[in-house]
Amino acid sequence: MSKNILIELSDALADAAERAGQSTVLVNARRRIPASGIAIAADLILTANHVVERDEDLNVTLPDGSELSATVAGRDPGSDLALLKLERAAATAAEPTKTPARVGQIALALGRPTTGGIQASLGAVSAIDGPFRTHHGGLLERTMRTDCIPYPGFSGGPLIAADGTVLGLNTSGLTRGAAITIPTDIAWSVAETLEKHGHIRRGYLGIRSQTVEIPSDAQKSLKRKQTSGLLIVGVEKKSPGAKGGLIVGDILVGVKGSPISHHDELFTHLTGEVIGKSTAIDVLRGGKLESIDVVIGER
Amino acid sequence: MDLTTTFTQSLDELIQQVMPSLVVVRGRRRGAGAGFIWSSDGLILTNSHVVGRHAPKLILQDEQEYKSQLLARDPNVDLALLSIKASGLTPLEPASVSPRVGEMVFAFGHPWGQRNSVTKGIVSALMSAHTRRKKQQFPVIRSDVPLAPGNSGGPLVNMRGEMIGINAMIMGGDQSIAIPASVVVEFVDRFISKKSGKAHRDKYIPEGVL
Repeated sequence: MSKNILIELSDALADAAERAGQSTVLVNARRRIPASGIAIAADLILTANHVVERDEDLNVTLPDGSELSATVAGRDPGSDLALLKLERAAATAAEPTKTPARVGQIALALGRPTTGGIQASLGAVSAIDGPFRTHHGGLLERTMRTDCIPYPGFSGGPLIAADGTVLGLNTSGLTRGAAITIPTDIAWSVAETLEKHGHIRRGYLGIRSQTVEIPSDAQKSLKRKQTSGLLIVGVEKKSPGAKGGLIVGDILVGVKGSPISHHDELFTHLTGEVIGKSTAIDVLRGGKLESIDVVIGER
Repeated sequence: MDLTTTFTQSLDELIQQVMPSLVVVRGRRRGAGAGFIWSSDGLILTNSHVVGRHAPKLILQDEQEYKSQLLARDPNVDLALLSIKASGLTPLEPASVSPRVGEMVFAFGHPWGQRNSVTKGIVSALMSAHTRRKKQQFPVIRSDVPLAPGNSGGPLVNMRGEMIGINAMIMGGDQSIAIPASVVVEFVDRFISKKSGKAHRDKYIPEGVL
């Protein structure tokens, strides 16, 4: 008799939950019910920043029931991620996905808000969008939405594929009322930076700007099709922008040769890598294109 | 044959396999619950809260209506055992394996009086609940199958077509609580051993036997 496809699918989902559940831990760091976290290494737990309300007296309960104390290795409120370091290396690291998530694929959201065992919710990846500016000043290149039910305490837990690999980290701290998923590649790279520096380094220019249309004659001097830029309406005193020579009235149109027509695009360039480096900022000044070197500061 | 056809056929087979065991439990007052056939000679299981004070009428899949006799009930675990005078019925087998978080499940019942409805979900957590007055703890299955009044007493079924629990409660609109098969089997066994006259103290339901 051929195997029943329903049983196979059902068993596969339960296997996936069991497997990834080995890397899903309980994070006890707030007054309310505990939340969840993902072991990304034997001694490192990645979780949602908003569930880590305390900096001291943090506990992590592993799937086998052992309770370990932990310290905050780093936080990034911008992307709502926090990295915890365990007192000893005892966790089972999760396996990140090798194939990026696709809209329509089935996924399980896992959580471990109690010591009673792993919890799961089934759904599909409903949308992959981005870039997404969070209200804490972060920028996520991509985010995912699913129709999994975000049960209480699921924040910080993984979204997994049917094979048990991790597609992302679920959090309800970035959008009011709804949960979104931070894709694994982004979450893991934030974790790497948090492990090294304790926080996410963000570049700083010190300008206030607004999006404006570029006049047609100025577009000619740009020599490319770009219809909008950022009009600088304020430059903070002694800021990197001021030191570099940016002035009110400049229209910022590019960084390092790539066009900037919206704030989000400028944000994606002001990463940790450009801090302290002389960076070419293209501006339209008096209708003419000028390149101004600015040493980017750190926020 | 392509995957979706195989899938649909397997679904159809499973539903055909379970449906003959599903019954309507109609109390004296308005509103009905669900139940299912436990043995071919007329034992029926449902929730204690569906039964009410009087033995309810039961309607089987062949639309035959039966008067039932209340054999046993335990409000602590919300279970009731009824019997009807019938034979050759199709019983629903309890699951031989423990439920697992993530596995797919179907709830059979009559939500809002919609006869023979099937809703889908997964086991979302295995937890424990308190009996009334918090005397004991017993395991329960939490699932995300949508339930409504009329589902109570109906079976929660795994992909093998076996009963893994009896749907008993809706929590917060998106969580459903079922009494697991292990507790159901224990409840029936307790009644049978009582009937056979053996001295039998109520067994304590161990925690986490799921």
